[in-house]
Amino acid sequence: MIGTPSALIGAVVLLVLILVWIRADSTSRHLPSTLDEWLPDQGDAVEICPPEFVSQVFSGQDLAFISRLESPDLKRQFLRERSAVALLWVQQTTAAIRRIMRRHLEASRLSEDIEFAMEARIFLEYARLRLICAVLFLLIGLAGPQRLHGMALSADKLTQRIGNVLREFESGARTGEMDGARSS
Amino acid sequence: MSATVRLVPVQEVYDDLLNRTLSRISCDLGRLIYLASTRDYNTGSYYHEGLASRFSPEVARKALEMAHRQAFYKVSGFSLEDLAGDLEAYLRSTRESPQEFLRTWQRLEPYRIAIPTEVNLTVARLFTSNLRLALAILRSRQEPSQSHR
Repeated sequence: MIGTPSALIGAVVLLVLILVWIRADSTSRHLPSTLDEWLPDQGDAVEICPPEFVSQVFSGQDLAFISRLESPDLKRQFLRERSAVALLWVQQTTAAIRRIMRRHLEASRLSEDIEFAMEARIFLEYARLRLICAVLFLLIGLAGPQRLHGMALSADKLTQRIGNVLREFESGARTGEMDGARSS
Repeated sequence: MSATVRLVPVQEVYDDLLNRTLSRISCDLGRLIYLASTRDYNTGSYYHEGLASRFSPEVARKALEMAHRQAFYKVSGFSLEDLAGDLEAYLRSTRESPQEFLRTWQRLEPYRIAIPTEVNLTVARLFTSNLRLALAILRSRQEPSQSHR
């Protein structure tokens, strides 16, 4: 049975998490620019963020440079700007992987030979990635992107891996369909 | 001049653009802004008189688009320190008053027009964010020197 102190601690932790989430969400909505309104249409065709830029957004190199300038205002501006970019990347990654999975589910529904082990593996990787993205979204505001470099890179690698597996799956399904059409 | 039509690969036109025009511009930000200026604001297509007459408007358009994207990704990949240095070089090349230049760029953010179409949104935001920071860095370097006068 859960005691009152444990329940209280649990409630406080939950409250803190909700507050951090609201803060991160608010930061990502009120970014210091109106770029979203200005940028051209960012449809499905837009390429994913190249890995070197993911590394750059979460790298500590620029923070070290800004710290050397010894200006609290500049440092504050830098942390605000870089967190906003990092949050945008997390949102984009989440949206991209959701889109990829939706496409995969549509393709699976039409496919006749589904491998359940493969499907389970894809789903687990997807769930893991969504979890990492949620954790990143929470921690960017608290710890700053520079401390989350490794986690961001692993999320990026996982996104690419899921994308590659699903691409292979789709090309395999297409080859199967063509073979089926030839034999009939 | 030969009357026969020769199919010119985009790479050849790109190299020509690089060697004849872009190499004369002293900094990467200057090259990016120059390339963005060859894009029509209304149609989004690129045009360069010299390239179009030497090759064909279509191949010239593709080469300009390719060069613009490459220049954009190069500048977006700069560290803040390198970007601040490149921005300073661009500022010097304009021969405008530094205070006036920095004030106008911070207010109007004209560098937004340098973003090509269909680039990754995170990279586009990193680009504008880094330029805002580079402007703030140059401004902070200007302020102490102004207060000494």
